[in-house]
Amino acid sequence: MKILLVDDDPVARSIHSMLLHAQGHEVVEAADGEFAWQLVEKGQIAFVVSDWMMPNLAGVDLCRRIRAAEFEHYIYVILCTSKGAKADLIEGMDAGADDFLVKPISPEEFRVKVRAGERVLSLQQGLSDKNRELAKINTQLHSAHKLVEDDLKAAAWMQQRLLPLLTQHAPGVRCAWRLQPSGYIAGDIFNLFALDDEKIGFYLLDVSGHGVPAAMMSVTLSMVLTPDATQGSPLKRYDAVAGNSQILSPEDAVRELNRRFQSRDDRYFTIIYGVFNVRSSTLSLAQAGHPSPVLLRSEEEPVILGNGGMPIGLWPEIEFDCFDISVSPGDRILLYSDGVTECIGAHGEAFGEERLLICLREQQSLPLEELLTRLLAEITAWHGNSEFTDDVSLLAIEITNEGIQYRDSETNPETQQTYKRRKSDAV
Amino acid sequence: MQFEESTIKNALVVRVRESRIVADVAPQFKEGLIAYIRGGNKNIVLDLSEVTFIDSSGLGALIGSLKAVGTDGELVLCGARDAVVSMLKLTRMDKVFHIFGTPEEAASSLS
Repeated sequence: MKILLVDDDPVARSIHSMLLHAQGHEVVEAADGEFAWQLVEKGQIAFVVSDWMMPNLAGVDLCRRIRAAEFEHYIYVILCTSKGAKADLIEGMDAGADDFLVKPISPEEFRVKVRAGERVLSLQQGLSDKNRELAKINTQLHSAHKLVEDDLKAAAWMQQRLLPLLTQHAPGVRCAWRLQPSGYIAGDIFNLFALDDEKIGFYLLDVSGHGVPAAMMSVTLSMVLTPDATQGSPLKRYDAVAGNSQILSPEDAVRELNRRFQSRDDRYFTIIYGVFNVRSSTLSLAQAGHPSPVLLRSEEEPVILGNGGMPIGLWPEIEFDCFDISVSPGDRILLYSDGVTECIGAHGEAFGEERLLICLREQQSLPLEELLTRLLAEITAWHGNSEFTDDVSLLAIEITNEGIQYRDSETNPETQQTYKRRKSDAV
Repeated sequence: MQFEESTIKNALVVRVRESRIVADVAPQFKEGLIAYIRGGNKNIVLDLSEVTFIDSSGLGALIGSLKAVGTDGELVLCGARDAVVSMLKLTRMDKVFHIFGTPEEAASSLS
């Protein structure tokens, strides 16, 4: 080890130097404190043995300077005093000295004290190596985390854009929606679209589990669940005799979906799929393992529709609920995910169907957008914040007697633009 | 995920020592059950009496295990609490699983 030996007495310096050489150390000598400080400042010195009384900076002041400089590596300092007085020891320790030697120095004491210093420095070195290693790993982790986070943010943005592609022409209905993913991306997804001139299809689905795998499946499903899916929509069937595509009933569409999506990895999804026939004013719904939708009619109590049914992809012989209801303008139907009813409040209690119904009863006269804003506010207040543990999604559809009616999300200017363009096309 | 095993008649009774079968334990839950099935146990009774909640991932793991038993053996349930039973009923999984009250009743059905 390289040791800086500081003493204004050349005889003492040469004796001490000899002792250190005998221990196998490399010795750098300085005759006063100021010169010693210059050597320390240059670096590569981790061990200083210094006399106390010296011209041009005393040993104790050299020690103070070393501590004040806060070098990256630790410098071990032994001060040599001729007195060994208690007051000196206290002053020396206060200045940051690690150990003391009292002159005249016994060679044996010198040897063991230098060795003790070496041990401390070696421990110190080990610790700082580990810290450096940890800091490096920490930086790597941080950048890896940032990469994942950026990817998720990009995915979330893409998913939000996918969400209700409410740009399509769908006369006879008005709709509004909310989606509050539990993380960046959601396993819930929904949409509404015209199946033909008189039928409007809509769905809200919830893929089991959370995170990226659930979100990827929900995005895949949103691609498949359109009337013009490239690889044969599960919502239609080609009729070879008639030479055209027939729109499947919700019941048949759900069976088709279950046939296509038998899972290999325990992943499945629950769905409400509905078809609204504008001409006959009939709403047909299929409910596969999904929470029951609510029918809202003015001047009437909200009604829960359906009894559940098996989720899709879980079991080959699916059994689920289907029902038809006659609707008239002003009637509304609310689809939601279990993130709403199972949203846990401050006391560990779920939001529940009852509270949902009470909330809807109180707010049902409000316009659709406001109704959802209020409902989401109630759920958020129940939970205490909007950091939900499961995706919260809401899709409300109102039957109108108007032609094309779209109430698009305010957060999606692009779709609004497209809608406007369509309107001007029509003119 | 902890299981407690016992044998009643020809059946292996596996008691789930966990109150919630949710996303973070669902994979271990399924792995554990698959290990019993791979270990040659044909008749398995899953005792859910300590389970208070099963989420969607838990249900997936449960059905996945049932599928893994296939036609070689049987996996039946017992001791399911109200919340678990209503979840199974809502998803109509009560039509897929045989659900019994006690481990003894479940084991008798398998012998």
